[in-house]
Amino acid sequence: MGAAIAGLGMTEMGKVYGRSARRLAADAVRLAAADAGLALEELDGLLISHGMGGSPGIELADVLGLRDLRLLTVMNAFGATAGAMIASAAMAVQSGSASAVACVFADAPLRPKVSAGAAYDSTPREFRGYGGMTAAQGFRSVNALYALAAQRHMAEYGTTSEQLGAVAVSTREWARLNPIAQMRDPMTTADHQASRWVVEPLHLLDCCLVSNGAVAVIVTAADRAADLAQPAVHILGWGQGHPGNRYERGSDFGLTTGATISGPAALKMAGMTVADIQMCQLYDCYTITTLLTLEDYGFCAKGEGGEFVASGALGPGGALPTNTGGGQLSGYYMWGMTPVSEAIIQARGQAGERQVARNETILVSGNGGILDHHSTLILSPAQAGSSTTTGR
Amino acid sequence: MTPPTIRRDGRSDAFFDAAGRGELVIKRCADCAAWHAPEASGCHLCGGAALEWTRASGDAVLITWAKVHPRGEGDALHIAFVELAEGPWLHAALDGVDDPSAGLALKAAFVRPDDGEPLLVFRTA
Repeated sequence: MGAAIAGLGMTEMGKVYGRSARRLAADAVRLAAADAGLALEELDGLLISHGMGGSPGIELADVLGLRDLRLLTVMNAFGATAGAMIASAAMAVQSGSASAVACVFADAPLRPKVSAGAAYDSTPREFRGYGGMTAAQGFRSVNALYALAAQRHMAEYGTTSEQLGAVAVSTREWARLNPIAQMRDPMTTADHQASRWVVEPLHLLDCCLVSNGAVAVIVTAADRAADLAQPAVHILGWGQGHPGNRYERGSDFGLTTGATISGPAALKMAGMTVADIQMCQLYDCYTITTLLTLEDYGFCAKGEGGEFVASGALGPGGALPTNTGGGQLSGYYMWGMTPVSEAIIQARGQAGERQVARNETILVSGNGGILDHHSTLILSPAQAGSSTTTGR
Repeated sequence: MTPPTIRRDGRSDAFFDAAGRGELVIKRCADCAAWHAPEASGCHLCGGAALEWTRASGDAVLITWAKVHPRGEGDALHIAFVELAEGPWLHAALDGVDDPSAGLALKAAFVRPDDGEPLLVFRTA
């Protein structure tokens, strides 16, 4: 018996002030249960992923008034958490340890009148010790570390800033069709090139948004999901990959990610290859993350990601529609729940103007740390073993 | 630009003692002699917990780099991962390396601010 996603709950996202991360999480769970057509009291599992700006913990169950839960835990694999949570929920449902599990992410790092760039700022007031010395010299932000990764890929394979820009542009083209995307103004490669450096070689338009908000999904048994309010979205495969890059001779940092492990695992479980995948919803904290993930899943050869993303494959009308809601670059930054939520909307056929016709096989990625942690889900409107899935 | 002021933390004082003498020290496993970065607390090769501060050659090659642009006034700074001849990578600041390229030969050096501890930088060898 398979597991399926039966409900999706999304709060307002972006500059949403006045609600704590806990409150946002509770709101998203209520919305997800209502979306599924379930009463809150029918939930018997709750998995929680917190962000950086606030930390709903297991007390969220009390906030929601949930009683007699059989599964309750906070999970953390950074940006890979959403995929890991949904896989855990599917396993719980399949083992019988729980029957209806809500998985929720919430964060509220933005404050009024403070820039998004300052939301995650952890610059210390003084610098101490060896780590303080490197921080003082510029190793202060995730931006810096992803810039080092991008530069390594560029030097090794000839990947260009314009090719990274192609990722940003195709993602914005999709965002323009998504009413809830935060960034919907037109964007050209020239706009990308003209945007200020964050940490060179990353321009501002290579970097994701910062958003307040919450997203929750309900996972239940496939046969039960079939009787609920929304079209079931079947969870056909999952995998994790944590390469454990050591910073020493031989390190693949910046060149490959854990997607090389999680992708094949998830595809094998689903009985598919990348040739069967019709659409990707990828964790795009930076444009380089999208490019690396596509290479590591095998949609193109290693080192050819730049050409692949510049070919137009990812955008509307392309051969591999990717991040069709605008992703984290232009849509909303709900960690791994950004790609998960868009995959659910597309699998249900509820994406409106941006709906992709071929939606039977959707690959979803999560990425955490500095390309350290990865999760993959294979989602489909069709149940495992059914004959409706077809190649790309 | 005024260099940042670094204070000791008790855990890496040996690094700054050596830096004061113009020497780069990193960690080395007392059991298997594997080299490790200054932040290492144990040896991932043999499982040993005894790491000793040991003088390194200071020779390195450039792995990757990025340019941190200040939001206000000031100069852009190159940061990098460098690979020491002994094997470990360091989070590093580049000094006077205007045209970085992968594999560029580098040498450790120290900048001595008026206040606080010396700063490790890498310059073209």
